[in-house]
Amino acid sequence: MRRVPRNIGLTVLWIGVTILTLFPIYWLFVISARSRVELFEPQRLIQTTFFAENYIRPLSDRTFRGYIINSVIIATGNALLVTILAVAATYALSRYRLKGSSNIFFWTITNRMAPPAAFLLPLFLLYARVLKIGDWKMFDTHIGLILLYCVFNLPFAIWLLKSIMDGIPIELDEAARVDGATTRMVLFRIIIPLAAPGIAITAILSWVFAWNEYLFAATLTSVTARTITTGLAEFVTVTGTNWGEMAAVSVIALLPALLFLALVQKYIVIGLTFGAVK
Amino acid sequence: MSANKHPLYAARKAWTLVPALVMTLAACAAPPPAAAPAAPAAEQPAAPAAEMSFWAKAAEPYKGVTIRGISESTPPSNYVKDVLAPAFEKETGIRVDFETTSWDQQYDKAIKDMEAGTGIYDFVYIEQDIIYSYLKNNYLTNLTQMLKDKPELASPDFDISKFTSFINYFKDPSTGDVYGIPMEAFVKVYVYRKDLFDDPEVQKAFKEKTGRDLKPATTFEEYAEIADFFTEWGKDKELWGTTVQAVTGHPASFYEFFETIAPSFGVYNWGISQDYRASVDKGGSLNGDKAKKALEFWVGQLKNAPPEATKSTWDEVAATFAAGRAAQGWIYGENVAWIASDPTRSKVVGKVGVALPPTAEGVIEEAKAGKGYIGYYDGGAFGIPVSSKNKEAALLWLQYIGQPAVQPEWAAKSARIVHTDTFNDPKVAEMDTQTNGYYTLLREQGPLFAGAPPFPFHAQLREVIAPFIYKAITGELSPSDALDQAAKAADEELVKLGYAK
Amino acid sequence: MQSPRTGWGLLAPTLIILAITGLLPFLYVVYVGFFDWNPFAATKDMVFAGVNNYRRLVFDNDFLQSLGRTLVFAVCAVASELVLGFLLAQTLTKEFPGKTFFRTVFALPLMVAPIAVGATWRLLTMPGLGPLPYYLDKLFGLNYNIGIFSDQATLTLVLMDIWHWTPFVTLVFLAGLISLPKEPFEQAQVDGANRWQIFRYLTVPMLMPIILTTVFIRMMDALRIVDEAWMLTNGGPGTSTLFIGIHIWRIVFPKTDYGYGSAMSLLVLYLTIVLCWLLFVAITSARQHEVEGMRG
Repeated sequence: MRRVPRNIGLTVLWIGVTILTLFPIYWLFVISARSRVELFEPQRLIQTTFFAENYIRPLSDRTFRGYIINSVIIATGNALLVTILAVAATYALSRYRLKGSSNIFFWTITNRMAPPAAFLLPLFLLYARVLKIGDWKMFDTHIGLILLYCVFNLPFAIWLLKSIMDGIPIELDEAARVDGATTRMVLFRIIIPLAAPGIAITAILSWVFAWNEYLFAATLTSVTARTITTGLAEFVTVTGTNWGEMAAVSVIALLPALLFLALVQKYIVIGLTFGAVK
Repeated sequence: MSANKHPLYAARKAWTLVPALVMTLAACAAPPPAAAPAAPAAEQPAAPAAEMSFWAKAAEPYKGVTIRGISESTPPSNYVKDVLAPAFEKETGIRVDFETTSWDQQYDKAIKDMEAGTGIYDFVYIEQDIIYSYLKNNYLTNLTQMLKDKPELASPDFDISKFTSFINYFKDPSTGDVYGIPMEAFVKVYVYRKDLFDDPEVQKAFKEKTGRDLKPATTFEEYAEIADFFTEWGKDKELWGTTVQAVTGHPASFYEFFETIAPSFGVYNWGISQDYRASVDKGGSLNGDKAKKALEFWVGQLKNAPPEATKSTWDEVAATFAAGRAAQGWIYGENVAWIASDPTRSKVVGKVGVALPPTAEGVIEEAKAGKGYIGYYDGGAFGIPVSSKNKEAALLWLQYIGQPAVQPEWAAKSARIVHTDTFNDPKVAEMDTQTNGYYTLLREQGPLFAGAPPFPFHAQLREVIAPFIYKAITGELSPSDALDQAAKAADEELVKLGYAK
Repeated sequence: MQSPRTGWGLLAPTLIILAITGLLPFLYVVYVGFFDWNPFAATKDMVFAGVNNYRRLVFDNDFLQSLGRTLVFAVCAVASELVLGFLLAQTLTKEFPGKTFFRTVFALPLMVAPIAVGATWRLLTMPGLGPLPYYLDKLFGLNYNIGIFSDQATLTLVLMDIWHWTPFVTLVFLAGLISLPKEPFEQAQVDGANRWQIFRYLTVPMLMPIILTTVFIRMMDALRIVDEAWMLTNGGPGTSTLFIGIHIWRIVFPKTDYGYGSAMSLLVLYLTIVLCWLLFVAITSARQHEVEGMRG
């Protein structure tokens, strides 16, 4: 049976919505292709030339390249750490009867919901003055940000994975235990393989959130661990006038979004609502 | 519920995309085709070829060391990054990792580093206005002392006495010891479109309209008249009568008002008195008549400025002028050279005239008598944070950029002069012609300008006063109310900080 | 069931990390809030000040105004997103050509870094460069300049937030709408209820837990706004978009007023927790209500 396209009016509506969604990003690409002198020319929406210099210059800058590498290190490190911790924690929450575990929910969620600005100063002072071993300080280190991003990534990871763990029948664990499996074997042979898709989503979303974070990165790093989002912010004020390069850097910063979009868009809702809505 | 039916189960393929992303990003991070810009041979400072240079010999123990520095991304700093740093590395084997970033970011990063004592930076940009705050908190290494303690590191080419008087700003007033080596110095000048001012048609139109001859403004009345005229005349030409550095939310507007406009109306040191008072009834002049008149004039010029004025810091103001969108304005000298000479960034090459900023009656006389100043002598130096772990290598580097051989080229490229002799160099003379006399003006009239007042609470007080300036710009407060409230808030803050008793 | 010790062992690393990065700063901010401390003051050291910082805070107009404008912004943005999100979610429950494609593209802003969102909108709205001021002037003769007009700046930030987050609200509502049972709606149609009645007495009550959860999450996020606003308006024009997050940043970093900044941080944190808790209670009671409703 053949379906005739219906609700064509909705298609028209959504074409409009899509144009509104994409236009700002389109404009970003346009500006990123313009040279300084071109920027002064009269308004036009179409770009035919491409000024590659805008991309080459930041990418050939040693400092800025370092920022991109730092972002990759920090986002990846954080995604791995969050995923490992969350798997362990949710397994514990799902399979053991632990006193007070329900209170942990409220605590973690307040961590995630707290205004980051309120934590800027204490974290800066702690990282710069208190948390140090000899000459080594948490300030401006990769590990500092990797640990910090757990504050907002762990809560969502835990509540995302918890529902998945709960969905894995406990009979499977029990059967394995009867056969003499240890906790580790149960985790690695049964739980993780069955929860793999959920774990992957957790890791990807953690990665994207860590990659996108700006405020803490700007406060708690200086050079060695500075990330691309802070680099972008530096570009704006620095080159006040050099909008082309700023746009190019923005494009670089939103590449992961473009890459992951199709993959995780279904699950981003779960991620952003801590699994409250599926 | 069976695990297989969980919605996330379908996303198993997700795994395969993770390595793909990592690879893509790794590709971004790979070395680009065009490596760090190498200095053309002609621009390399001349080094004695025959024997081993002082630099190479003194740097022997520090070969392979990397020193890290930070500065605002200004034309002089970018010259250091692109030309001097590679040259120094070639000669000494000391690598200079020099980061140039925005004005606010460099402060943020440098202060955090020195406050935390992290030791990330081996040399930092010291803007003239912040030196007193840095000295108070013992952030900086005493360079005079260090050169005395380590004679083997003192270059024979480096001589404090060769510097212009600007270096005095970087001395501790009590001991006279130097804490920073000047690397840029310039004044904020009045810049106008020479091509338009010289155009007979324009001159005729101006004469018809005002009954006066069109020439660069020397008073505020003339300035306003010219601005009004060009705004009207340029209506359909994308041309406005003036620039105004009036961004709100960024201190650039605060600086244009307190460093350029207010002094030329006769309000000095932000209107703060010797004993740190702001309001008139306490002995300050922040809300005095002169200050109010100045703010009224400045805010009033917004109607003659292009629409981007209220989003403009010094960078955008320079870009506005370079784009040919303003007939006159106040521009930081460091930008004058590229505006007048670089066709890849400027549309007004060869059309730029410079002159002294307009002033109120009596201000020039006060400046000449040393009782005041007509504008801002801005600039910066490099100093070594106490927390640096490579002070010796950094000291060599600072002397390297302070030696006479590197000065002329640097001055011609970025309109900054820190050595007295540099004014006489042919390269500088050539640029002087292109900029219609900016360097001559800097040399001859420089003493009429002054640096920022010696406040150890510079940023703190600025943060208190600036919001009122923002509100005057948007019209939320009248200029008079804005300054009254600013003075009150400033007095409270000075008491709170413990400076005014 | 195995011994709880293994369970705690598995949970321990999570708790330790959250304690270091979540709890420790909290305790530290409480401590510093009792001091006068500005490294650039005449005395560089911490001076015990009791509750003075809090006393000043209650009468600090800049602080209160900043809280007020953050709240106004959040309410405007979230309310618009709820309405738009609901309408768009309704359309997505129907079939039409290209639906999957549209839905995917629509989610794009969700993944973009907030700071890049701010940069993008800055390029759109820049006077003399962006298409927005140009075409508004050309087509409608509207003088649009977010460097001058406070209401335009706030409105632009609201629009930007709508652009950024409506997809989220839409997708959440869509998930909710799809999961609703069909029978009550069919029954209502049989009983001759009109669209408004169905919406008012069926859809909204049944969707209430999801609506509240969305309001909760969106409000918390909107109140935290820093990156986008910092990038787009820098708190200007004047101080009209100086939201609480930016205000705290200015007090703490450029002004280095550590003691007062700590007190402010703590108060904001406290207000957030209270609001968080109120919304949380509302959600729980709505859930409860729903369960009872089903029983009844």
